Amino acid sequence: MPYHEFECSKCIPERKRHAVIKGPGEDLTHALPLGYLNTIPGSISERGCAYCGAKHVIGTPMKDVIHLSHGPTGCTYDTWQTKRYISDNDNFQLKYTFASDVKEKHIVFGAEKVLKQNIIEAFKAFPVIKRMTIYQTCATALIGDDVDAIADEVMEEMPEVDIFVCNSPGFAGPSQSGGHHKINIAWIKKKVGTVEPKITSDYVINYVGEYNIQGDQEVMLDYFKRMGVQVLSTFTGNGSYDELRAMHRAHLNVLECARSAEYICNELKVKYGIPRLDIEGFGFEPLSSSLRKIGLFFGIEERAQAIIDEETARWKPELDWYKERLKGKKVCLWPGGSKLWHWAHVIHEEMGVEVVSVYTKFGHQGDMEKGIARCEEGALAVDDPNELEGLEAMMTLKPDVIFTGKRPGEVAKKIRVPYLNAHAYHNGPYKGYEGWVRFARDIYNAIYSPIHQLAHLDISKDEIPVDKGFQTAKMISDVKLSGEIVTSKTLRQYTGKYDSVSDLRKKTYPEFKKSERSE
Amino acid sequence: MENLKERIAQLEDHIMKKCLWQFHSRAWDRKDQNENILKKATQLLCDEPVELETPLDRCYWADALSLTDSFQSRYEWLAAMSKEDIKLLMQGLKERIDFVTITGSLNAELTDPRY
Repeated sequence: MPYHEFECSKCIPERKRHAVIKGPGEDLTHALPLGYLNTIPGSISERGCAYCGAKHVIGTPMKDVIHLSHGPTGCTYDTWQTKRYISDNDNFQLKYTFASDVKEKHIVFGAEKVLKQNIIEAFKAFPVIKRMTIYQTCATALIGDDVDAIADEVMEEMPEVDIFVCNSPGFAGPSQSGGHHKINIAWIKKKVGTVEPKITSDYVINYVGEYNIQGDQEVMLDYFKRMGVQVLSTFTGNGSYDELRAMHRAHLNVLECARSAEYICNELKVKYGIPRLDIEGFGFEPLSSSLRKIGLFFGIEERAQAIIDEETARWKPELDWYKERLKGKKVCLWPGGSKLWHWAHVIHEEMGVEVVSVYTKFGHQGDMEKGIARCEEGALAVDDPNELEGLEAMMTLKPDVIFTGKRPGEVAKKIRVPYLNAHAYHNGPYKGYEGWVRFARDIYNAIYSPIHQLAHLDISKDEIPVDKGFQTAKMISDVKLSGEIVTSKTLRQYTGKYDSVSDLRKKTYPEFKKSERSE
Repeated sequence: MENLKERIAQLEDHIMKKCLWQFHSRAWDRKDQNENILKKATQLLCDEPVELETPLDRCYWADALSLTDSFQSRYEWLAAMSKEDIKLLMQGLKERIDFVTITGSLNAELTDPRY
């Protein structure tokens, strides 16, 4: 597996060991890109900071909490509207963002006093909310503010509130991944075991590494509830602060994004003996296999199978409609971390697309192992790419679409490559059987958008055809399909609703009697 | 022998593309996972009793059963193999998975003493 040197990065020779091409007959022991290292000076990375990883990725999806950044207001910028981890309490954590508004004078004279004022003010402004997380930032960490001491003082004065302090300033790691680690470890050390939950089922799980992007968690919760499984907590999307303090009472930790949350699962296994089961909510086969495994663990596999059969029958014909039209399309799979491996194989198998490149902004070598193992030969794998490398890869590989974040995504558009938002989604949720069809529909719409076809024309030099009318996506996608496929009575386009999540919140579930032995 | 090698390669490819249990973050966890899941998978394939005493056992077993179900539905040649040959096959598979994920792995984080 040869390392790959980008033309644009020849002046940064250290970059060479961060990219490989998966060669025929080679395995992971031949070459593996370096990962989770400080970004090389001179390389303009797409990464976030450790504060961002702790707060914006993991902390803030908790829904019933005032999330306060101890630092300048600028550090909170990523909160409003740019994250899509929704919640079923009217999105409190998305609608309101808090900062202690540290300014230059506080750097000189200290910011502990202003922090305390802000904590009390925030609790008074939202008297229903009794829980708070506070995030250290670079400036306040450098001046040595003792945030724990201030939080303790407030909790003494206001015994009805509980505060969690996360000491993960921006510089505390090579990327956002350093923050994921810090908040995982801090949460289990400071908060797990401080609340005793009410157990209502014989089958109790923590759902870990799930952030409810556009409703992913709620889709998966629907399956778990239909199986009679009690989800004690979700770490952290749509999750509740006090439920997460009770993680120690689960029978099983079900883990999705190992990149951001395997630490807490590993610690829960060591400290409380709770097993860790890695699952996947994306793709029909991986999801079915995951539900089946949870069912097997608890001895209720027939309940899982009933869901798998019902959902597959409902949605598979729609997935296959898109698969017929996406076959052979080239994809650059360039997400942040875990989707690199969650999607690398299953989009090839279930949607027919060819993954020509995988990259990760903040993944570790373990993520690259999974991603490279799952993608097909010939794929280019890159760790922590810079913008020029991304451009060079797109020019060389000529993908039909890329799946990435909104910043590199906008860069792709400029060279006429459509992109899908792999982090926050375009029209998610993408988890679950229906969600997977929604993803396929978004890919289809990205590739075959009539507007995108027009983008290929450069009005400064290309001749603009005047003899052709407007073409719909279907007219473009169906040109090369057989008549049998085009007129199929079985296959059909997505027939779900625009909003596939709200109805789940009103749904009622069958009651499964809890046995006396687990009372 | 070539036949055995080819079959091991097919099973390895399946595990690497479809499973996640072999990629825990540290060498000792990977060793435990490979050891327990592949041991239970071998017992299942050979119709031997499988220990299910602890929650950890049940978790390994759920992964093992899922794996053997896939093996049996995808690789028809498995049904024609004797128990002894299956044991040999699974032993070779275990050695290969250990090599790719632990002893031959280039992942520098595997030996980090903390999570």
